[in-house]
Amino acid sequence: MIPRKPVPCWYKRLLYGLALSAGLMPVSIAGDFQWDVPQGFPRPFVPADNPMSAAKVQLGRYLFYDKRISVNGTESCASCHRQELAFTDGRAHAEGATGALHPRSSMSLVNVAYEAYFTWANPALASLEEQALVPMLGGDPVELGLKGREQEFLATLRSDPVYQGLFPSAFPNEANPYSLGNVTKAIAAFERSIVSMRSPYDRYRWGGDPSAISDAAKRGEIIFSSSERGGCFRCHGGWNFNSGVRFEGSEPPRSGRFAGFFNTAVTTYAAPNRGLFEYTHKPEDIGRFRVPSLRNIAVTGPYMHDGSLATLEAVIDHYAAGGRMHDPNKSDLIRPLNLREADKRDLIEFLKSLTDEEMLHDPRWSDPRGETRPGYRSTGSPRR
Amino acid sequence: MFTRRSLVLTAGLAALLGAQDKSPAIQVTGAVKQELTLTADDLAKMPRATVKTSSNGMETVYEGVWLHEVLKRAGVPQGSELRNKALASYVLAQAQDGYEVVFSLAELDPSFIDNEILLADTANGKPLFGAQGRFRLVVPKDKPGARSIRMLSRLEVVELRK
Ligand code: HEC
Ligand code: HEC
Repeated sequence: MIPRKPVPCWYKRLLYGLALSAGLMPVSIAGDFQWDVPQGFPRPFVPADNPMSAAKVQLGRYLFYDKRISVNGTESCASCHRQELAFTDGRAHAEGATGALHPRSSMSLVNVAYEAYFTWANPALASLEEQALVPMLGGDPVELGLKGREQEFLATLRSDPVYQGLFPSAFPNEANPYSLGNVTKAIAAFERSIVSMRSPYDRYRWGGDPSAISDAAKRGEIIFSSSERGGCFRCHGGWNFNSGVRFEGSEPPRSGRFAGFFNTAVTTYAAPNRGLFEYTHKPEDIGRFRVPSLRNIAVTGPYMHDGSLATLEAVIDHYAAGGRMHDPNKSDLIRPLNLREADKRDLIEFLKSLTDEEMLHDPRWSDPRGETRPGYRSTGSPRR
Repeated sequence: MFTRRSLVLTAGLAALLGAQDKSPAIQVTGAVKQELTLTADDLAKMPRATVKTSSNGMETVYEGVWLHEVLKRAGVPQGSELRNKALASYVLAQAQDGYEVVFSLAELDPSFIDNEILLADTANGKPLFGAQGRFRLVVPKDKPGARSIRMLSRLEVVELRK
């Protein structure tokens, strides 16, 4: 649990000061992590067995960007989740360390802490700790290809002077903190720290700045939020533009009820991309996917689970036509829209106002080793 | 019906697409003793009320006037007058984009039910704007938000039995 009252600043400074003056690594102070959540927004849900701490987030950040986590040292989490693309990869299908193509497109990690379920359509995946094991160990497709090499990887971490400082401060009371479980906990804590409500639209809607977005974006907001015109908000609703958030103190998601999954008739849904059906095996669930947040959507193309729509223009045309395919499972919220070309442009201007430019370069979430140590470089040039 | 609806729609769209009204107002029309055109200034002079909502963990305090106070001013039957045929009357709330929802008179009347339906003009102390419209309804006791109509422009009282 995160204490509601943060540890007073002076106290932390004193502790850090003492630690530093004694020449010690700063040790983890449970609850010393500061959320950067503006007034009015809820704080994310954090599981009781993995409380946030500044040291753990820092360790997770190093691991997230460490290519030694992959079978051949070519990829880290950051290879498919690049900060400057709001932690996506710019590709229709993510490419694993050994060249295998993922059937689906990479997803943004911004505000991922607020999701109730993870990935495009897996209602069984309800924790970030668990999710991290999929790219690490998964074989279908191979992403990082760590399976069978776990002990070797942990030994690498144990012998690295950087991690010799980071692991004990992130997991201070453990005799052997170098475990796969702790790797996933630290990565999950880092992911949870990637919280962003600083887009121009946030400043307009909640920050009291009427001129933060253009008039076109303001018109687009109205189309987005009108059930008679765009109806987008009915699925991409609320402050995170999705089908609901999990937050500190909220009810856990109810099992067996998948209210936030919809068929938008964007493709013919062949295996293994049949969405919710892959887990429930109910025919009516074919094509139902989780509603993704639209934050930073302008930089996360190509779009949809299969990357089949290259641009926001194509996405709007898809919705304006009421879906591209005839599909018996299509949500009845997807129907032809009466949008003029100018309306479509306004809608796109609105979507563009959801980008938090500061987040794309925020040093808190960048590669901690920077470009100074070539051996650790993890964000290469765009791989399209 | 179709023509009336499309008329409303066109009028609504025109209002939306044109420059936003200088002083937007709510029309209270239909089977009322006194038709009203209420601006934010008019609402400010009426008895004020607040409702606190929580949506996706975000709390908002809406301020405005209880809908029953607005209807009272328009002379809509309430309390002991709300009986017989009046019980088959309803309020059609319309938004600028043509969206419409209905409330029966009884479910708006505090002598029938404690329903707390607010005609809001501010959120967290600031005038409503943009996709909220200048006015909206807030219906905290409804489970879904569908009748908490945004961009409210018109309240029409309709008598089913004359
Ligand atoms: C080969 C590219 C690739 C690598 C490497 C990769 N991911 Fe992903 N990531 C994806 C794809 C593709 C998806 C969508 C998966 C799906 O729908 O099944 C995804 C989804 C996710 C999600 C779900 C986001 C959401 O909103 O539900 C999280 C969290 C995530 N990845 C974290 C990580 C972490 C942590 C690592 C490193 C341990 C990692 N990823 C490595 C491609 C990658
Ligand atoms: C019925 C619910 C629903 C409605 C209504 C809806 N969406 Fe979506 N949206 C989804 C789902 C589900 C997905 C993911 C679909 C997939 O990948 O197969 C999605 C995906 C998207 C994406 C791509 C996201 C990404 O990360 O690739 C964009 C952009 C988008 N929607 C914008 C809109 C806009 C704009 C509107 C209104 C015109 C709208 N949506 C209306 C449910 C909806």
